[in-house]
Amino acid sequence: MKDSRRGRVVVGALLAAALVLITVDHRSGDTPVLGPIRSFAAATFGTAEQATASVIEPVGRFVRALAGASSAQQRIAQLSAENAKLRKELIAQRLDKRRAAELDGMLGLAGRGGYQVVPAQVIARRSAPGFEDAVEIDAGSRDGVRKEMTVLNEDGLIGRVVQVTSGTATVVLLSDPASSAGARLEGGNELGVVSGLGEGGNRGRFIKFRLLDSTAPLTVGSRIVSFGSVQGVPYVAGVPVGTIERVEATPGELTRTAYARTFADLTALDVVGVVVRGPSRDPRDSVLPAAPAKPAKPDQPTGQARPNEQDGRSTPNEQARPSTPNEQTGPASPNELTGPASPNERTGPAAPNDRTGPSGPNERARQDEQPDERA
Amino acid sequence: MGRNLGTAALLFVAMVLQVTVLNRLGFAVVPDLVLLLVIALAAARGAAAGAVIGFLTGLAADVLPPADHVLGQYGLVMCLIGYVAGRGAVRAPMLTVMTCAVCAPALAVGVGALLGDPGVDWGAFEAVWPGTALCNLVVAPFLVWGVNALFRVPRRPRKKALVLGGRRP
Repeated sequence: MKDSRRGRVVVGALLAAALVLITVDHRSGDTPVLGPIRSFAAATFGTAEQATASVIEPVGRFVRALAGASSAQQRIAQLSAENAKLRKELIAQRLDKRRAAELDGMLGLAGRGGYQVVPAQVIARRSAPGFEDAVEIDAGSRDGVRKEMTVLNEDGLIGRVVQVTSGTATVVLLSDPASSAGARLEGGNELGVVSGLGEGGNRGRFIKFRLLDSTAPLTVGSRIVSFGSVQGVPYVAGVPVGTIERVEATPGELTRTAYARTFADLTALDVVGVVVRGPSRDPRDSVLPAAPAKPAKPDQPTGQARPNEQDGRSTPNEQARPSTPNEQTGPASPNELTGPASPNERTGPAAPNDRTGPSGPNERARQDEQPDERA
Repeated sequence: MGRNLGTAALLFVAMVLQVTVLNRLGFAVVPDLVLLLVIALAAARGAAAGAVIGFLTGLAADVLPPADHVLGQYGLVMCLIGYVAGRGAVRAPMLTVMTCAVCAPALAVGVGALLGDPGVDWGAFEAVWPGTALCNLVVAPFLVWGVNALFRVPRRPRKKALVLGGRRP
């Protein structure tokens, strides 16, 4: 009881003191008495607070990080999702750019040759080794693709269409062992047949070229273009096929055999074009890439350093050279090669002529007029 | 004497930690460490000592630098709280501590409102009090346990209280 009474007295006194303090402070702000107390307390506590804060600051930051961990986690997830999306878009863009370039090149080739093409993309590839080389493209009868049409890409001949559905088509590649196509040596009228080698052809990089005239000159580095079939089915004329890389000595045989590297990389196809309508005239060699563009095949040497041995027979015709290159593709084609093509009287884009002018160097002029050779 | 110095040091540290650490953690509500410490000390040492401790601590809290209220406001509040805690702890220590921990913030706000503290009104009370009371409730047992362990005083009064309680009926 005594303790409780003392306590009551104490608390009463203290409360009174507190009230006095409150009143004094309330009425007269910084009095001479309370001001120093305040400033002393401020100095003492301020120092302690400063010291503590400097020690505690990293801890506080850590705790704040902990407190914000869940939102940070969320943000990390959000950012990484966004990052992945952007990266995907970037890759897709890069892919699209590459495809656009390929498409561009393919259309350029088609324009040079005057082919009317339907662009398509390879969507599947048959890869049973050694049996067949075929790809599926995403253009079909809906797009005007029919059976037995020529398929090319920006570099050259790819193959032909063998099956068509409404939305897709099957293309047998040039490297298929069962496929063969008529071909012609660049700069001449020497005819031959290219056929695929399948797996034997270094995985589609090489095809076999059999020259029908065993006495005709055949040298490494000369280029092959497609000869063209009747009505351009299945192959239109003038599409670049490949470059002779190796000539096989076959004495005594009726044909000469060579191995050619295809212009188009048949193992890595993406954007291709189906020729839905051939040129009205044989573009001859005008579709071939410009000579310097293909370092593998020195064209100048072929044309000029070897006229003696290779084009021995055509030298008498050198007088054709003065005649303008432009004209001679025209008159020459109806004669023999595009005989089948011209009767069609197709009114398709007859672009080859104007393109031949700039792109057809004079080595082409050298040898064209030779009806006798074919005969 | 040593006990008093220890108490003062403890309260000083608690005040500094309260304003430098706890209040800056960025949580919406934080426990009032000083108030809880006063309650725990008062419960451990009795009503008179609690009143003195509360008064002095309140005064110190009034002059603690980030302060812009009249001197003696917290002195009044803590003095009362310390006295009540010290008295009630004789009968039912934990219950008293809990009650004080819940009521003290309300009392502080009430005194502030009586003194015309700007910014103290019913809305502020509603916003501040529940969270703070809950926080205090959660933290109080640990502080009481810590203070008892630190000063080893409470054993005696508590035993006494139990004996007294046994005798009285």
